[in-house]
Amino acid sequence: MDESEDVPKDFIKLKSEKLSVDEVSELVVSPYCGAVSLFIGTTRNNFEGKKVIRLEYEAYTSMAETEIKKICRDVRQKWPSVKHIAVHHRLGVVPITEASVIIAVSSPHRAESLEAVMYCINTLKASVPIWKKEIYEDEYSWKENKECFWANSEK
Amino acid sequence: RLSAGRRRHRERAAQGCPPGDGGSMRCQVSVLYFARSAELAGLRCETLSVPRRLTSLQLWEEIVKAHPRLAVIQDQVVFAVRQEYVLLGDQFLVLQPGDEVAIIPPISGG
Repeated sequence: MDESEDVPKDFIKLKSEKLSVDEVSELVVSPYCGAVSLFIGTTRNNFEGKKVIRLEYEAYTSMAETEIKKICRDVRQKWPSVKHIAVHHRLGVVPITEASVIIAVSSPHRAESLEAVMYCINTLKASVPIWKKEIYEDEYSWKENKECFWANSEK
Repeated sequence: RLSAGRRRHRERAAQGCPPGDGGSMRCQVSVLYFARSAELAGLRCETLSVPRRLTSLQLWEEIVKAHPRLAVIQDQVVFAVRQEYVLLGDQFLVLQPGDEVAIIPPISGG
């Protein structure tokens, strides 16, 4: 079979509309791949006993896209058999239980895509300039990922 | 034919530095504020005149001069200069007119 017709692609999107698992999985499907692995990050309704009303995300959009491209490049170096990678992140208001991020990776066999998806979300949380604000009933809080190496670790 | 001094004057002007700056060599950079830093500064972006050559800590001090409320987050932020992360400290920067400098509070994507 002629693999040059299915050139590996990265699909990166930051958008304010609701994310679609169907759309993201279909982006990475390939006739050469037996596996599509997915991660969906959804918004929780509570944090340390406080009720979360909603979440709001903002991004340094141009740099976030560049950093996600770097993650994709690293994935392809570590797992050369990975075919397509899709990372969709929502910005603006995200209601509880809706997806804030969906990552999909395809590969011929399942081990690589499963590992690559985990690497993508872990590295995204450490390096991509996106911020989440949790809105509670009486206050709000800018969250800090524990993966962020410059965050103030003592709370 | 221009003298060497007049040629240097014209070159500096062409690079976006005001003539007659006496060698202090400042330039205009775009400063972007995000998340908590945007709330403290009260804005999302502005143009600031800063020295072209300085450490990242000195750059922070220039920005705090313009927005003193930012001082409270000094221990938590890094910069992104031309979209590369830079810690606040001794790292020496050479800025170009129009460079993007972003204040990056702790991130929480995903």
